[in-house]
Amino acid sequence: MSQSTTNLKQSEKVDRFAGLMFCSPWIVGFVFLFAWPFAASFYWSLCRFDLINPPEFIGLENYRRLTSELQSQKGFGLALTNTLYYSLISVSLSVVTGVLLATLLSAKVKGQAIYRTLVFLPSVIPIVAASVLWIWLLDPESGMINYLLSWIGIPSQNWLNQSRSALSPAGFTEFSQWLQGGALNLFGSKDALILMTMWGVGNFVVIYLAAISDIPGQLYEAAEIDGANVIRKFYHVTLPMLSPVIFFNLIMGLIRSVQTFASVYVLSEGTGEPGGSLMLISMQLFLSAFADFEMGYTSAMAWVLFVLLLAATTLLFRTSKHWVHYRTSS
Amino acid sequence: MRKASRLSLYSALWLASAIFSLPLLLMLSGSLKTTEQLARNPYRLWPENIRWENYPVALESMPLLRYLGNTLILCTGCVIGTTLSCALIAYGLSRVRWGGRKYLFALVVGSMLLPWHVTMIPRFVLISELGLYNSFWAIIGPTFLGDAFFIFLLRQFFLTLPEELFEAGRLDGLSHLGLFWKILIPLSKPAIATVALFQFVQTWNDFSGPLLYLNDPQKFPLAYGLERFVSSYGDQTHLLLAASVLFTLPIVVLFFLAQRTFIDGISTTGIKN
Repeated sequence: MSQSTTNLKQSEKVDRFAGLMFCSPWIVGFVFLFAWPFAASFYWSLCRFDLINPPEFIGLENYRRLTSELQSQKGFGLALTNTLYYSLISVSLSVVTGVLLATLLSAKVKGQAIYRTLVFLPSVIPIVAASVLWIWLLDPESGMINYLLSWIGIPSQNWLNQSRSALSPAGFTEFSQWLQGGALNLFGSKDALILMTMWGVGNFVVIYLAAISDIPGQLYEAAEIDGANVIRKFYHVTLPMLSPVIFFNLIMGLIRSVQTFASVYVLSEGTGEPGGSLMLISMQLFLSAFADFEMGYTSAMAWVLFVLLLAATTLLFRTSKHWVHYRTSS
Repeated sequence: MRKASRLSLYSALWLASAIFSLPLLLMLSGSLKTTEQLARNPYRLWPENIRWENYPVALESMPLLRYLGNTLILCTGCVIGTTLSCALIAYGLSRVRWGGRKYLFALVVGSMLLPWHVTMIPRFVLISELGLYNSFWAIIGPTFLGDAFFIFLLRQFFLTLPEELFEAGRLDGLSHLGLFWKILIPLSKPAIATVALFQFVQTWNDFSGPLLYLNDPQKFPLAYGLERFVSSYGDQTHLLLAASVLFTLPIVVLFFLAQRTFIDGISTTGIKN
């Protein structure tokens, strides 16, 4: 009896030791790559720090600078507006086109696998290669995109050489003037970035496709008996059943779009130009850290971004109970 | 289905496929044209006379082979680092019974939510202090400490393995390390291959890592090296496209070889949450 309890205790000890040993790489990684950086960047956000001299505590100075830039729409303010524009449009577009494409690609037709592959393939193309390609496709003179637009009567657009965005007050003015016979200078660099991002929407399509194939067929049969047509079936069966995945993709898409960096860097050749229009938050962070060496200010910016992202995610979670339908069974 | 709706379904499928594949076809055809052809007729999909020379010329004018070598070193190192560390960690989080594991697992999941912006500067300082700046180890090293997403993926897989096998191993007197090598690893080859594949692709494509940590052009990998030529080769689109095709091709080949793995990997992450 006492022999077996000591044995048990012995094996518990062995297990605890083994568990710690197996997990030790991650414990080290967590401490040095997450916990310490997390704390350090918060402390540095309260400092002036240029990597060469030791950090000098300056209180909330960096945060005050961020607030004033927010009001003047320069630096951080401009970057935040740019990121908001890019994230809102690209995430909502990717949900809409993602769901529609997945519905289309779930149709049982000959060659289904080929259609799926063709839609998915662009999303595995390395970002740098895709950016090189799109710089050419968006070229105002010899780019394919302007050529295709000319088919539907839209004059040549400046894309990556233009700071204005289509879905902005200035864009609306431009558009209404064009309808009255003026020139049209509508699409700018952020629209170009959104277009390129949408080309890689296949990642999301795949997730929706998997979710659609999980929808029980009886639901559609029941809807058919009730006389539902294709559109009603989509609205009353597919959409509610997809809502958990849509919710997941909204969150993932938001996090991913806010972190978008490589494509912005390549498209703007590391400058965030023209006119600061490709200065998304991640670009601004990179440049203020590694071109201006303002580590304190950059850390403060990263922290504000982190808090904003957390708030947005929480907000999305709050709204989710009104529109996300989780299946009660299984 | 009625004929009209059948027709509209097929036209929608054709249109979607055309839109998504057109840029890739243009990339391929553009890489086989002369500058003059590109200027005169950039949209012609089949070049009048195919210029295979663009490829050797691109290889000569940019140090692509050196970049490729660097990319392969980075990929090999990162794949070894990730598979080894993540398998060990995921074993400790799934098949060893100990009190701390559920807290540790919560930390793994939680760390995925932290955006890289917050940790960027301290990590840079740490890597520099360790003397790893401008060394491949700046990029390979951290993979030996595990990656939250891959740990998560492997743990989920390890949990599906039947406990009886491990019980039998224990009765045979195997230690945890023995169970890990002799029972877990042989059974988990597909899952580990998935992680290796994803890490390979991730490292192959990685741009920000080399941008942050490497400054010697001799050490640049393809993703970063190619970008350095974008501004200086602005008027040599055909060469840039040829280099991009060479850079993309291995990933596309890998994709066709392991299509199921790619797609399952992406869709399971969507469903499991």
